[in-house]
Amino acid sequence: MAITVKTLGRPQAESSYVRATLKGMALTFKHLFARKWTMQYPEQTSDADWTLSKRWRGTHRMAVDETGKAKCVACGLCPQICPANCIKLVAGEDEKGNRYPLVYEIDEFRCVFCGYCQEVCPEEAIHVGVDYENAEYSRDGFVYDLARLMKQPHEVSTLWDPSDPKGE
Amino acid sequence: MCLVDVEKSPKPVPSCATPVAPGMVVHVSSEQARTARRAVLEFLLINHPLDCPICDKSGECSLQDYADQEGRASGRYADYAKRYNPVEDFGPDILYVPNRCVLCTRCVRFMEDVAQAPTLNVSERGDRAHIDIFEGELLDHPWAGNVVDLCPVGSLLSKDFLNKARVWDFDKTASVCPGCTQGCNTVLETRDNAVVRIRPRPNPDVNRWWMCDEGRLNYGWLNRADRIEAPLVRQAGRLVPVDWEQALERAVEVMGAAAGPWVALVSPGASCEALEAAAKLLAVKGGSGAFRVAEGPEAPLAGVPDLALRKERAPNVHGAVAAGFGRDWAAAVELARRAALVLVVDDDLADVERPVASGPMIYVGTVLPEEARSAAVVLPCANVAEEEGSFQNLRGLRQHYAQAKSPPGMARPAAWILTAIHDALVSRVGTRA
Repeated sequence: MAITVKTLGRPQAESSYVRATLKGMALTFKHLFARKWTMQYPEQTSDADWTLSKRWRGTHRMAVDETGKAKCVACGLCPQICPANCIKLVAGEDEKGNRYPLVYEIDEFRCVFCGYCQEVCPEEAIHVGVDYENAEYSRDGFVYDLARLMKQPHEVSTLWDPSDPKGE
Repeated sequence: MCLVDVEKSPKPVPSCATPVAPGMVVHVSSEQARTARRAVLEFLLINHPLDCPICDKSGECSLQDYADQEGRASGRYADYAKRYNPVEDFGPDILYVPNRCVLCTRCVRFMEDVAQAPTLNVSERGDRAHIDIFEGELLDHPWAGNVVDLCPVGSLLSKDFLNKARVWDFDKTASVCPGCTQGCNTVLETRDNAVVRIRPRPNPDVNRWWMCDEGRLNYGWLNRADRIEAPLVRQAGRLVPVDWEQALERAVEVMGAAAGPWVALVSPGASCEALEAAAKLLAVKGGSGAFRVAEGPEAPLAGVPDLALRKERAPNVHGAVAAGFGRDWAAAVELARRAALVLVVDDDLADVERPVASGPMIYVGTVLPEEARSAAVVLPCANVAEEEGSFQNLRGLRQHYAQAKSPPGMARPAAWILTAIHDALVSRVGTRA
């Protein structure tokens, strides 16, 4: 059985592609002169419109004290609170008898960047950082040890506004 | 900290020191009682340092619990510097941190009333009071480690445990101390499959709440790394690792072929179950066995009747005797040289003159000493922390202990090994007529 095709009798002015094409081109040309939002990453790495939030939670950084040692006292609260179980900590004693981390490793692959470690740290030692460039050549490179965490150059996250800690 | 409100009493009374009287009505959480307790807590916290993150007691500290219950985050004394005194060394295993001390004097009273060897005192008065040690004395009593458990805060610390672990990381397992024939009940605290600390488990019949230092620090061998991990059988003069099936098969073969009297050299550190299985196995073809015990000075805890670190430093001497093993080690070793078969259970054969046996030797043990390398079959067994079993103490009390960590490699409990050999052997040669 032959199919009956229904033909719509629209006027040429409506069914012509010329009008739609012109409309599309007009939009395209309008954008050529409009303000550009794209940052040319990685050629360009900073832009006034593309700053990360102060509360961005990226790869970690360990704070150091004035003598250049890690502030961490190996209290064990961060491995305890960590929901991803990505922090490995072995406590030890330094030459002055102070408690310090013998081993402190964060597996950034396991980390879910919740920021609980920074929140729970009583010494304000471990921080999540305002950073997103984490590429590595090997998987092992994503297990950050203490020396690496101390050397991280990026800003640390401000999890809350100090003047308004409860967000009111 | 235990102030409660009693009706018709003019002020809150300490519940720990107030006898119950007829018609007494006590309000534990009335407003007045809570206020009083809050005030006491505030006093205790004036000089208490805010160093919970580096304190070993953190997580099992009474003061921490109280502060947590009350829930006040800040104190009213923030403007004043806290009292500071340096850490003192009290004895071989004990440190005193005066800053954290709340002067409950539990340690002083333990040394005086329970150990009956007064060593500690409260020196100076008022604000300057602190726990001190008598002139020229040392807190080196064999039971001194108990003051660390008694301390409600982190003021008295064990040097052995210092900065080693956080207490909330531990898995705790009920066990029995393998140190001597007293059979103190213990808790094995393990982390990452290693025993990190041993603490006493209250048992009014055996050890009350106490445990001696020797037992406390006697855990290094439970974590030994040089263990046998697979059954070994002798093939062409060398010990070759095989699976359990082959190893048991070979053991049964060797034992089935050995006709004459058998000799067993067993350890009084093995469980009752293992020793009974060994005795049963020995009975298949007849034989005898003996054990030896390391001895040390007896150290009683004066204030508690019938509690001491016993002379015989093995947990299951009485279990071994009950299973039918003798104490004449020298005779058994002599006999072993002529026996058709020697069965060694968990003894390390140290100081036994080589060759231990002229006939074949079945060695069931945790480690492989030089003396055991001539064995026909070597079967790896679990140690006390890695198996379930029981020990019989010197009062005939048989106490069960649980498994705290997993054994290395293919090691299995000695009782399982000996029972498996026995069953296979009986099905092959039948019991002795």
